[in-house]
Amino acid sequence: MKSTDRTRIHIPIGTAATMVWSYARGRILEQVKSVAFIILYLLAFQLFVLGSTPSNAVRVAAGLGLVILGLTFFLEGLILGLMPLGERVGVRLPRKCGIFLIVVFGLLLGMGSTYAEPAIATLSTAGVTVTAWGSPLLYRMLNDSPGLLVASIALGVGVAVGFGMFRFYYGFSIKPFIYTLVPILLGLSVYCALDSNLRNILGLAWDAGAVTTGAVTVPLVLALGIGVSRASGKREDAAGGFGIIMLASAFPIMGVMILGIVLNPSTSRPMEESAFFAPEYRERALRLFPNEAALLRHVFQHGGEDGRKAFFGEDEEGYRQALRRLGTPEGRGMIPDSMSAGEWLTRRASETERAFLTREVPGFASSPRESETAWASVFRQESTNALRAVIPLTLLLAVVLFLMLRDRPRHVDEVALGVGLALVGMMLLTTGIRTGLAPLGDEVGRPLPRVFRSVPREEGRVILEPFEPEQVLTGFTPEGRPYRFFYFTERGTTPRPVPFDDDQFDPETGSYEHVLQRPPLFGPQLTLVGIAMVFLFAFGLGFGSTQAEPALSALGRTVEELTVGTIKRSGVVRAVSLGVGIGLMMGVARILYDIPIVWLLLPPYMLLLPLTYWSEEDFAGIAWDCGGVTTGGITVPLVLAMGLGIGGELNVTDGFGVLAMASAYPILTVLLFGMMVRARQRKGLVDVDEEDEDE
Amino acid sequence: MSDPTPTFRDVSRITCMVHQRLGAKVTECLVGMGAHTVLVENARAVRQHIRPRPWMFPGNLTEIHGTPVEVFRTTVPRDCVDAVMRALIEALELERPGHGAIYAQDLKEHSLLEPPVLKINSGKEGLLLRDLVLLTGILSQVGGGDALAKSALKLGTCVPVITRGMGTGIRDQLGLLRITIPPEKELVHLMLPAQDAAGIQRLLIEDARMDRPGGGFLYQTPIRAGVVDPLLRIGRQEHAASMEQVIAAMDELKCGTGWRKRFGDLEDPRNERMKPLRRNHREITFICTEGRVDAFVRAAMRVGAGGATTARVRCLSESDFEGGIGARERGILCVPAGRCDTVIEALYAAEQELEDTHCRIQMLEAPSVFSHQR
Repeated sequence: MKSTDRTRIHIPIGTAATMVWSYARGRILEQVKSVAFIILYLLAFQLFVLGSTPSNAVRVAAGLGLVILGLTFFLEGLILGLMPLGERVGVRLPRKCGIFLIVVFGLLLGMGSTYAEPAIATLSTAGVTVTAWGSPLLYRMLNDSPGLLVASIALGVGVAVGFGMFRFYYGFSIKPFIYTLVPILLGLSVYCALDSNLRNILGLAWDAGAVTTGAVTVPLVLALGIGVSRASGKREDAAGGFGIIMLASAFPIMGVMILGIVLNPSTSRPMEESAFFAPEYRERALRLFPNEAALLRHVFQHGGEDGRKAFFGEDEEGYRQALRRLGTPEGRGMIPDSMSAGEWLTRRASETERAFLTREVPGFASSPRESETAWASVFRQESTNALRAVIPLTLLLAVVLFLMLRDRPRHVDEVALGVGLALVGMMLLTTGIRTGLAPLGDEVGRPLPRVFRSVPREEGRVILEPFEPEQVLTGFTPEGRPYRFFYFTERGTTPRPVPFDDDQFDPETGSYEHVLQRPPLFGPQLTLVGIAMVFLFAFGLGFGSTQAEPALSALGRTVEELTVGTIKRSGVVRAVSLGVGIGLMMGVARILYDIPIVWLLLPPYMLLLPLTYWSEEDFAGIAWDCGGVTTGGITVPLVLAMGLGIGGELNVTDGFGVLAMASAYPILTVLLFGMMVRARQRKGLVDVDEEDEDE
Repeated sequence: MSDPTPTFRDVSRITCMVHQRLGAKVTECLVGMGAHTVLVENARAVRQHIRPRPWMFPGNLTEIHGTPVEVFRTTVPRDCVDAVMRALIEALELERPGHGAIYAQDLKEHSLLEPPVLKINSGKEGLLLRDLVLLTGILSQVGGGDALAKSALKLGTCVPVITRGMGTGIRDQLGLLRITIPPEKELVHLMLPAQDAAGIQRLLIEDARMDRPGGGFLYQTPIRAGVVDPLLRIGRQEHAASMEQVIAAMDELKCGTGWRKRFGDLEDPRNERMKPLRRNHREITFICTEGRVDAFVRAAMRVGAGGATTARVRCLSESDFEGGIGARERGILCVPAGRCDTVIEALYAAEQELEDTHCRIQMLEAPSVFSHQR
């Protein structure tokens, strides 16, 4: 039946513009509401707790504007294009193909989605502080064999989607899968925790499960599952289609742990830094690095003086030459991009090295950090990522639908518009996150340790020259003792007096080395308040950022639609946000108190198993899926900034584990939310049943 | 191409709306009796929840809450419809408030499948109410169904059951501009005493503000027999029996709802305040394989139908489909009686062209229809 005979209603341009504006305004306002909390929260924390202001307010504001626009476009694209396409394929597949082909398709889609939305970038950021001597296996998986790591995750997601299709086709319950998979994962985790090398990859494995399902994959796979589930016509699938994201989180965790277990025998054990860089160990150390230059860069970026001296062994002059080279443009590459030379001097260099560099490389301490990446460059990078995330998966589905299944979406033009909107939305959203939201989170997250530090901390050094000793003034303490001070203006504030230290003044060069110090925020006695503030910050960060997650919004919308409004989207989003907030608090506790990750993973998952047993089928699927969708494009950069800020301060090996916590607790809160909702909804029946029992 | 006109059989359509927890039992009963096609749709039943104010403040809070419901529809030969309903009422204990509602409507159906031959163990006599009508409201906004349901609860009619659907028709003729108009609809199903139906319909139109452009569509269809769920309110109980329990007991004693008549003046045609209702329409329902509903709607619109409301439904019974594919779509059209035959022929032609063996076309009277008119 052709549609050529349909009469098209022509709307005047003015009316059309009014219709589009009223529609767009509603959507934009919705997104403004969803991101308002996290933006205001970060700003309030920065202004009132840390007492600083955003360093580049215009850039941040423009970035935040892009986030709102991007979210609007992206969500609309999901609803108009990607989800209807996925669902259509899901409904049609069982009609034309057997279960074998459906499972193969699921496998390909799952693997493709991992390559399209690589989690490796996120995992590399979380593992940026990993050292080759402290966690050789973790370092190997992240830096030496990232291909194997991605392949193990991709295979995990592929198997998960394939399994998911199989489950929907035959209408199996998700619960047996949970009862089987979770104990296996916990068992593997305990096994890994007993080995000094494998212990370090636990955070990576559980975080991989959390971040692997991206903003495009989740809605697509969810819609596909709903389609297959509906087409299967099984009675149990009243709210079918859920549970697949849980599988797509569990299998990659298993994949990464198995990869770790396989690589472990051929990887060296954790050792002392000086032993690792010693020339006699060079041959084995180089198994983790492509060449000696990379090994040298690693010792400068992550190591200390002992490691650097051990690298050069007897060659003292080589060591000094390498230090001098830091002042050259080529040598700048030895310092991490995220640090200025001054920061490197403060955090990585020893007293001796600081003195040497101040003497031999004048002006080194004041050389600036790498400038911020230009807008155009960020947009170009993010556009490429967005194209890679949206187009291949959409094409795969479109080819299957048009060519294999010989079908078409209900409105081809609408789906095409949706895919375009999703693409533009993702470009704007990720650019906005990188230029607006992430820097804002970074400015709050990184200096966060200040709130729990009880002693002043050196933040960097600055050479003041020419420094006139006449500028130094004399003051008196309340006890009447004299002291010397001079005025110093820091970061645009009014000049304030700082004590003068004779040792820092060099009369020969007429320069004074001023040590920049950060005082403790709540005074030396109030670290407990500071720690409470960190927990509060972590909770608010998780709660606020999750509310803006597009994949969660899509999931919430699907839940509301399938349950005909008996479970509201806002309820699901709130329960998940609460869970992420609690999870982040646990993650922060892990870093602050150095709690082994397995001790934080075991209790919630052990509790989740009986709760799942008592939950109804549909809520079990929804809750376990929520664990996979929480950690998306908005939450991850903010959480990583916070985790790395605190982890860097406490010299923790890596920033892993926080995201895994942010995945476990939402399952708990959604299951509890589901039990409460169901208890209320059952009331009508239960009241009557109780009456009868009384009779 | 076979016969250009469809052949219709006189059958009854049983609609059973039960709490989600009883869903499996309905399937078991119907399949056990031998029903070969059972269509299922998710829905929510809306009730008032009354609870004391928190923090020991005096008085009660009344909130509207939705409960998950499954709506089962199946067609059976007319001669056994009462027995099937009684068996279901007994098996599901539908006489108990809160378990759900059931009704049967006599209609004409075209289907390639013969009506099922059912094996029934008849339930208790005297449970069925005979003087009911079904009032169906189609509202444009998601959540809009709640406004109509609230009004219905306020009037103490029955437990409103809300399903979701999509509007097709005029919206689809706007090109890409259609995305600016949400296609989602909410369908509110109300079982009312026949003698009060017109009055309640008019009150609902005013109360839910349906007499405005885009306000919705409200129409009546006759019910052969049914049982109403009277549990309108849940929560604090201040009397020995709730008003709903008293009403249910009276309905049973009086074998009907005739004694409830209360809106006499509103039915008076001389009452100028009232918006005019259109008479003599037909509700045409078609069920087809998922993905083909647009073709059917287009065919109907070409011969003068104004548009349709469609909904996705699941088909549960194995014998109706091959390979376990149960995704279906259901379309509802309301057309003037004079145009009914032409629309049905167009739908039938679409069925022939698409070779949709799952297609069913059902038709029944809609004696009173309201939608906003300029």
